[in-house]
Amino acid sequence: MDKRFVTKLIRKTIFYILITGIALTIITPIYFLVSLSLLSSREAYQYPLPLVPALSSKFKIEKGRKGYLLSIYDPRLGGYDTVIDTKHIDKIVRYMRTELNIITTEKKIKSYIDNLKTRKEVYFKLRKSIFNNYITFFQVTRDAVPALIRSLEIAGLTILISLTIGGMGGYAFARYMFRGKNLLKISVLFVRVFPAVAIAMPMVVILARIGFYDRPIGLSLVYSVGSIALTIWITASIFMGISTELEEAAYVFGATRLRTFLNITLPLALPGLAACAMYAFIGAWNETVSALILTQFNPTFSVVVYQSLIGASGQVNLTAAGGISMAIPMVIFTLFIRRYINQMWGGVQV
Amino acid sequence: MKLKKKWIPYILIAPTILYYFFFWLSPVISAIYNSFRNPKGGFTFNNYIEVFTHTSFGLAFRNTAFIALVSVFIEFIIALALALLINKKFKGSGIFLFLAMIPMALPAVGAAAIWKTGLTTNGWMNSLLYYLGFLEKGARIHFLNGSTFSVMWLIIFVDAWQVIPSMMIILLAGLQNLSKEAQEAGYVFGANRFRTLMDITIPMLKPTIVTAVILRLISAIQIWLIVVLLFGFDRIPLLLERVVYYKEEVSRLENSYQIASTYAVIVAVIVTTAAVLYLKLSGAFEKYEEVGE
Repeated sequence: MDKRFVTKLIRKTIFYILITGIALTIITPIYFLVSLSLLSSREAYQYPLPLVPALSSKFKIEKGRKGYLLSIYDPRLGGYDTVIDTKHIDKIVRYMRTELNIITTEKKIKSYIDNLKTRKEVYFKLRKSIFNNYITFFQVTRDAVPALIRSLEIAGLTILISLTIGGMGGYAFARYMFRGKNLLKISVLFVRVFPAVAIAMPMVVILARIGFYDRPIGLSLVYSVGSIALTIWITASIFMGISTELEEAAYVFGATRLRTFLNITLPLALPGLAACAMYAFIGAWNETVSALILTQFNPTFSVVVYQSLIGASGQVNLTAAGGISMAIPMVIFTLFIRRYINQMWGGVQV
Repeated sequence: MKLKKKWIPYILIAPTILYYFFFWLSPVISAIYNSFRNPKGGFTFNNYIEVFTHTSFGLAFRNTAFIALVSVFIEFIIALALALLINKKFKGSGIFLFLAMIPMALPAVGAAAIWKTGLTTNGWMNSLLYYLGFLEKGARIHFLNGSTFSVMWLIIFVDAWQVIPSMMIILLAGLQNLSKEAQEAGYVFGANRFRTLMDITIPMLKPTIVTAVILRLISAIQIWLIVVLLFGFDRIPLLLERVVYYKEEVSRLENSYQIASTYAVIVAVIVTTAAVLYLKLSGAFEKYEEVGE
């Protein structure tokens, strides 16, 4: 074989091993959280944790000292593990629901038990309700659903505020020369140096004075501070990329500045603006600290998940389900904006 | 009504300035004002004196400095190395870049959920190590109960997991915007790979590097949420953790709100100093002055 070909092949293999290694490092922790969010409580408190969540469980039922003895097949032991001994069928049903994520009826269990008249042991298999933790998380966590709706509302308002104000600013940066332009451009980045917590604390008073404390609009006003800065930087680079010749052509045909902007410039800038909107959304959705300080009775979804994480009472698999519910919209958004991330970092350079 | 053309940029920029005045500058001034007030409302330096002498300021400062400096340094080196290694189109690069963006998009509470469930004694990290054969059956590593020093490295690791991929993407974007010609010229004139990298590629990449590092530095000094979610308050005192600690946790002190404000102002001063110092060292200001003309 050609020596150069071999070297190239080895290089390529090493390259792909490296890429796979990085990808695995990124994915593994996320995989485990997803997997944990699908485990039943019984599985989630085992050690070592199962690598893959089971889709169904095999059971054995027999006569016990107190009543019926329920055993569950444990693949790690390679045998059946006795879990409950009771004469109350509703207890069995409840155990299956809370500990095993299996939704079943007393009637069904009764029919298996009836078989005990003819046999010593009855074996059966039941399917796990795979998303049960998610349902339970939203049921047992007070405020989870309203908080989710509030978070969406806050994110929407943040997009609205930061795109209108930041978009105008970005257009000015791209098209005009004016006094203090450079100073303003750096200072827009420097709003980040003052910690969000420090802004949020005095904001309690400021928002209370205008009646926006503990309301979605109040939080979106706070979140817009950061996203206006980002929007200015991104939109400035977008508008710079749209040739002024097109705009001038429109003037020649008698269009006004506003009309030109609405009919020519804006449609061309739309994909970039969509990216800005999604950044604003991500920022507002993910934020926890200001939300913690600026809400009282109307927490955001991130606060709800934060509390389930910090509280000792939370079951790990339910917490995992909360964390994943929090992360899924963001991962989907990233899928949409990934094309613009390159574009954005091409533009934002100190 | 016809507007004079030279006013248009100021009208466009006015909402931003007004917005920052009301929702950024006024809370900032208010925080600074509170840091100089005693609970009765009078002017005082006591909050600063108290922070610097009585509280765990020194410890919080040292912890923050250690975590911020080490994590930014390590994250930057690894991200740059990875970006240089994979700076080409390859099969599956789209999927790979998407994967690399996920940690960046993860909410802090989501990341905390990952590591909290992972690093507990019966968590997935020990399970994974066991399945991979690194741990004996029954043996477990007590990640969260280690010494302060090992816990700090754990925090750096957790932070690096979330930050390196995004930093790599920023640097990759910068690399892809560079003209290939200058690098090729380097080879033509007989420079080897390493020399070309050090003398041509990295200097050309400098604006991107400065952006990536400055943004990272600003947020690295402000690390606290993931630490509190993993270890609780007061275990590893950090500068910003102190702010939230005094704001939310300490209620017995009558001036805890003022102490929290004082800490917040100190954090802002430290972040600004670090950022300006970095920009000065990297020469970014000179570039601005040139462009500004």
